[in-house]
Parts: sequence; C-alpha cells; structure tokens
Amino acid sequence: MSVATDTPLLRVRGLSKAFPGLLALDGVDLTVSSGEIVAVVGQNGSGKSTLVKILAGVYQADPGSEVEVYGSDGTRVTGAMAGAELRFIHQDLGLIGTLNTVENLDLGLAYGHRLLAPSRRKAERARARELIARFGASFDVDLPVASLTASERTIVAIARALSDWTGSDHVLVLDEPTAALRGEESGRLFEAVRRVADEGAGILFISHHLEEVLDLADRIVVLRDGQKVADTPADHVDEKQLVELIVGREVDPAVLKHKDRGEAVLEVSGLSGATLREIDLRVNAGEIVGVTGIIGSGRERLTETIFGAARADAGVVRVSGRRLPAGDPRAAVAAGLGFVPADRHRAGAVMTMSARENLTLPRMSPLRRRFGRLDAKAERREAASWAADVELRPPEMDRPLELYSGGNQQKVVIAKWLRNDPRLLLLDEPTQGVDVGAKAKIHELIGEAAAGGAGVLVCSSDTEELTVLCDRVLVLRDGKVAAELRRDALSETALLNASMGLAEIPQPTDYPQKDDHA
Amino acid sequence: MPDLSSEIPTEPRAEKSAEPAGAVPQRSVRSRFADALSFRRISAIYVFIVLFILFSLWVPDTFLTLATWRTMLDNESVTALLAIALVIPLAAGCPNLAIGSELGLGAILVAWFLAKRGIPIVPSIALVLIAGALIGVVNGLLVARAKIDSFIATLGVSSVLAAMISWIAQSQQILNLGSSFQSIGTGELFGITYPVYIVLVVAIIAFYVLERTPVGRRVYATGGNLEAARLAGVRTQAVIIGTFIACGAIAVMAGVLESSKLAVGDPTIGPTYLLPAFAAVFLGSTQFHGGRYNVAGTVVSVYVLATGVKGLQLAGAPVWLPELFNGLALLIAVGMTRYSRTASRAGAIARTIGRGRRRSKGDAEPGLAPGS
Repeated sequence: MSVATDTPLLRVRGLSKAFPGLLALDGVDLTVSSGEIVAVVGQNGSGKSTLVKILAGVYQADPGSEVEVYGSDGTRVTGAMAGAELRFIHQDLGLIGTLNTVENLDLGLAYGHRLLAPSRRKAERARARELIARFGASFDVDLPVASLTASERTIVAIARALSDWTGSDHVLVLDEPTAALRGEESGRLFEAVRRVADEGAGILFISHHLEEVLDLADRIVVLRDGQKVADTPADHVDEKQLVELIVGREVDPAVLKHKDRGEAVLEVSGLSGATLREIDLRVNAGEIVGVTGIIGSGRERLTETIFGAARADAGVVRVSGRRLPAGDPRAAVAAGLGFVPADRHRAGAVMTMSARENLTLPRMSPLRRRFGRLDAKAERREAASWAADVELRPPEMDRPLELYSGGNQQKVVIAKWLRNDPRLLLLDEPTQGVDVGAKAKIHELIGEAAAGGAGVLVCSSDTEELTVLCDRVLVLRDGKVAAELRRDALSETALLNASMGLAEIPQPTDYPQKDDHA
Repeated sequence: MPDLSSEIPTEPRAEKSAEPAGAVPQRSVRSRFADALSFRRISAIYVFIVLFILFSLWVPDTFLTLATWRTMLDNESVTALLAIALVIPLAAGCPNLAIGSELGLGAILVAWFLAKRGIPIVPSIALVLIAGALIGVVNGLLVARAKIDSFIATLGVSSVLAAMISWIAQSQQILNLGSSFQSIGTGELFGITYPVYIVLVVAIIAFYVLERTPVGRRVYATGGNLEAARLAGVRTQAVIIGTFIACGAIAVMAGVLESSKLAVGDPTIGPTYLLPAFAAVFLGSTQFHGGRYNVAGTVVSVYVLATGVKGLQLAGAPVWLPELFNGLALLIAVGMTRYSRTASRAGAIARTIGRGRRRSKGDAEPGLAPGS
C-alpha cells in the first residue's frame, strides 16, 4: 500500500448529472489525496463513466455540483490550470499504433517556437527511456507501440500523461486500464501505478475487477444507480461484501412467458477464435440463454463469431442440426439467424438510410414485383405496422435512422430481424446506450420472440438484464464457459461472483453431442 | 456504461399520438408536397429558374432561341452520361477516378476498331462495351477482393488505361471513322440529337434500378455502411463489382459518343471530363435526396450548370467566367447543405472521403486496443 497523506488534490462535492430520463449521477462526494489510490467500482450504468467524463470535461456537471482541484501546497487551482492537474488514461489509451514510443510521447508536448526545428532524436530517445524507467519498465522505444504488449502500451500512455510531471500535484485518472491486460501484465501495470502514488500523485482508479481493486486501492468508492453507496478503506471490506454493495437489492426474476421447446436450434462445439477457446453451447427453441463475463473473457466476441461476422479458427456451428458455413453472414441470415451487434453505428444499421430501408434490408423478396420493382406502398405499410409493434418514437419510418435516439434505433435493428421470423436471435449488448423505457420494450420483444419459438442468445455485461430475461446464463472466463447458472440459481450476486471466479461454481451441464446430420 | 449522449431523444416523447395501433402515420399530402418543393431539396431547380429569368431579360435574342437549347442539350450529353456512370459506384461508396480514362479508352478503342481493324459499327461498339465492363471487373476486384481503397485502386487503373490509350493510338488521332458512325453522335430525331436520347434512356434505367429496386437498395446500403450491409446478408463484394461494371460500360459508351461527335478518335479527351463529372455528381447529391448520390440530381445539375455557363457566354462574359461559375456553384451548393436541416444526412461526400480511413482502421492497428 502506498502512503496516503491528508493533502487533498481532488475534491468533488454533490456531483450530479441528469440526462433525459436518467439521473446518471446523484450528489456524489469524493476526495482523492496526495499519495492515495482511490478505486471507483460499480456496475454498468452506475455512473462511473459519467464521473470520468465530467472530470475530463466531456460533460458539464449539473448546477450545484462542485469539482475542486488543489495543488500540492494545499492552494486551490482554478480555471485552465485545474484541467491540467488531472491526467487521464482512457480504456483505449489514445496511442497511435504505427508510431513508436518516442513519437507517441512527443505527441503530448508543446513544441512552441520549435515547431519546424529538427527533432533531436538522440535526446528524445534517452528521455523516453528515462520516462518509462520511472514506471519500472524497459523496452525498445523504437518499436511501433502496436507491437508492444498491452501492459507496455499502458505504461507508454501513463508516461505520456505524466511526462511533464514533477512530483506530487497531479491526479491520474485510470479508466478501466486493465481491461485488455491479463494476469502478470496487470501486475506490472500496478507496480507502475504504485510508484506514481508513492511519489505523491493521487490516483483515481475505475475498474470492474474487484480482486485488483482490493489489491491496489487504499480506499474504495462504490457507486450504484448514480449514488455513492459506500466509501471505505480497502482493508475494511472483502470481495463478498463488495459484490453485495455493488449489486444492492436483488431483482426478483420475473415469471417467464416463453417455454423451452426442447429441440436445439443452436449447437456450438469447439468454437475458437479471437479470445474464444473451445466453446461448447446449445440453445433450444423457445429458450433465452444469457452469456456474461468480464471484458476480455470472450463474451464480446461470441455472437459475432457464431454468426460468421468474425472469423473462427476452429469449431462447428449447427443451426437446427445443419452445419453453418464459417464466416458467411449471408448464409447465416438464410439459415434463419438474426444478429444484433453491440456497435450499432459500426455494424448494426445503416444510419444514413431511413428506418424503413433498414427494416427491409435483410429480406426484400416479398416486396419484389414485376421488373424487379420494389413495392414502395407495401413496404410503407409494413414499416408502419412494425413501427407500431415496436413502439417506435416518433413513428415516422421515413426518417434517417441516425435522427432517432439510441433506444429507438435499437428497436428498428431488432425489428428487422424479427420480421424474418428468425430461428435464432444473437444479441450482443442489446440494451447498451438505451433509455429505460426502450429497454423494457426491447426486453418484451426478446421475450415475445422466444415465446414465438425462436432461440435467443443474449451476451450482456448487464447482470440485471440477464436475471430478468434468461432461462439460464453461461459465464465465460478466459475464453471458456466457466459456469452455468440455471434460472433458480440466477441472481446478480451469483453472476458477478462467477464472472470474477469467486466462490463455488456450478459446472456447465454436459450435452449429449448430436450425431452429425450435415 | 452506455454512451449517454446517444440517449437524448431527438424529439420529445410527448409526441405519442392517439392513433390506433397499427394505423399508418401518413403525413398530409400537403406537407409532403411542400417538402418536395422546398428549397433545400431542389435548390438547383430554383437556381435554374433564376438563371432563366436573368438571361431571358439580359440576352433575350440569343438565349431564348430553340437552337441555343438544342445545342446545349447536345453539348452536355457526354458529361451527363459520364456523370451518371459515376453515380453508380459512388452510391456503393466507391469513388471511381478512372472514369475519365475509361471514357478516353472507349473513344479511342471504337475509332481503332472502325478505322484500323475495319470492324463494322455494331460489333465495334459491342466490343467496346465489353471492354468497359472488363475494366469494371478489374476495378471491382481490386476494391472488393484485394481491399485496396477505391480512391487508390481506380487512380492506378486510370494511369494504366491512359498508357493503353497512348499505345493504341500511337499518340495520334485516328481519322476516317466513316459517316454512318458519325451519324450516331450527330443525327437528329424531332430536332434533338441522338446522344440526348441515349442519356435519357440510360438515366431512366439507372434511376429505376437505384431508386426502385432491391438491387439499388443494396447498393445504397453498401455505400452507407459496408459492415452493417454485409451483416444484413447483402453480398457487398458483388454489389461493388457490379457497380463498377455498370460504370465502366456507361463510361466507354460516353467515349463512343464523343468520338462519333468529333468524327475522330482523340487520345487526349479522357481526363478533361473527369472533374466536370465529379462536380456534377457532388452537386447532384445535394438535390432531391439530400445527401445521397442520385441520378436525377446529377442530370439536373449538369444542365443547370450548363445553362449558367451558356447564358454567361451569350452575354459576352470573359472566357474565365464560366469556370468560376462552375466552381462557385459547387462550393456554395455543397457548403449550404451543412447549414440545412438535414445537415447530418447531407454528408455523402464527407463519408466517401473519410471512408477509406475508417474502413482500414481496424486492420492497420492490430491488437492496439483489444478491449475497446
């Protein structure tokens, strides 16, 4: 543990931030002192990211909130100087992969009058080595950072954030810095972070990994639904207590309307690729199966690999007993699959086209008339009826999709697959960036699809969502199915415990492998 | 943590109307009509009206004659045809910088077949169209299969074609194409030359396919978001190759018309058409569909610009003024869309330019931020 002092560097009082339909932060108080490592934990949607974005100046806090920054001598720093006291390492690090460490470090420098003067390569290289050595690292500073390991890249980012750092008066905000790291990699990063704290900086550390948090932090702040529910020295709590604080009240699983029909629509065996390692799973008709796991567990790769949007290295995917060709989204659509990716803007929808055009894109054959004409009237009628079904607001299907809110965009993306009477829906973070009202509607649509006989596979980091929706949930760890929770054992606490690899873990059931029909 | 900025509803929820479930929310005929006639949709038409009135008052004796309009329709037919060719791959998100050279190759190849090889007219033209389609296949494979950014791939192809043109023509004009070939470009029906009819037919077909069929929908989806289209089951590679084939065939056809009108095969004409075609398509993307490359807007743009230029010429403007007019018209029209209500949608051009960078990002930095 580092030596915390009583000199506050950052003090936040009554921090609130309201978005339409959502109070993201509600009167949060927080102090970070010199030499102290403060961890902020909470579930998705608890307000962690909003907190970071307000500190970084991306969002404006609501009136009445106070954010004060102090220098090492205890005097308050205001204005533009205050911003410079806070340094951020975001999850994506903000490095340029094709440039080397020296060049990446230079990006942060104020060149002033020597904008066009030749760069002094030798001196810069020496300085770069010195900087990373400060964080206990030594690697080739002439390699493009894309070829460094994840922890080395994080150290480059930290070195850049603190390159003009003289000692005590900075607060370093680390937003999920270990998401891409494994095991000893994060250990090396933590060593660097401790050094920074030992030299007198304050650290604000945002993380999902409770084990790390307990290991590293001096103090832990727990956020839930935008409120601070705990602010405690790290050695006063254990993981179990922390999970309880994070989850809070358990939501009672609702009674499900859909019914498992017993016949398999999806059988996956030995699926490997990206972070996935030999995944076996099965989804029956009329069943909703959830998948969760921390970032890097394979959860975020599973649906796209099954669908064929991303390449699988090995493994077999069968839909209703027939083998699906690998890496062929078109064949997947023809086989009755629907895929809702997590990144709506990049892969989920054509934002520049209207809601109507997005709706009919996967299957236009029923609207084709003579000479290949698309029956615009029939299409409008169909679109209007879907707009009513999914409660699209506003219900004008001719507006470009990008003009809708996130929740309404997602309704259209889901509707376009429901329109195909899918055998199997693959949903990746189906309610991410979606407001509360739309979320409930989307859950209703998913439930209806299952009641209609479709199999549904939902990958989500939202444990509440999974407990509400699913018949059973598979928990991934290190690319493998590490646990399976049936509905009677399903709770947010159980899911979090299983994701982190804590407590006794229910083992996944063994399915009798079906004979090869293909 | 969701990106909260995307949660802000763009319109108040209170709008929930009392319509019965399933009712078709139709906007009134009047509001749709008003929208269709609004300045932001068809500014080119209003500009045309202003230009028409202006020059009718300024130089009525020459501007208001039938001959002036006949000549203008005829003069612009090659540019219009080439611009239509360009719209097709651009709609699929692929700018084709080779169209100028494709036109040039069509022009020189037809002349070579006719004058040097003695092949009759119909087979000559058929061979040229096949050559154009083949160039399209090459372009398409380079972009869709080899994943070379379309800007770069077509730039390379353009240079290769320019070399072929010089080689075929031996850097000289090809003469003696025969009078019956000439009549294709100069013959008249009801006082209007054949090329104008050809433009009309090609425009109608291209419009129909792009705007009224599932094929066109897939082309626009591919151009709008390649990955999302692919995941919706669209054969994006086939779409891209197909659009380049159509583009190549129409572009060489424009070259055939040019040779026929000039009565020679000129190896130097290709590049001069490149920029006017692009200007017309970009200007056209601000019309009718606000932000979508489209055939109707493109053809209208060609002729509105031509009207302005013709009027200025008739009014005795200095020779540099038409160029200035063309340039300013493009800048103003495209610049204005930034301030219109559909600003976010009017970004077809920005999307095309920014596209290559975005598409290659994921591959260029492997494993840089696997968690993001």
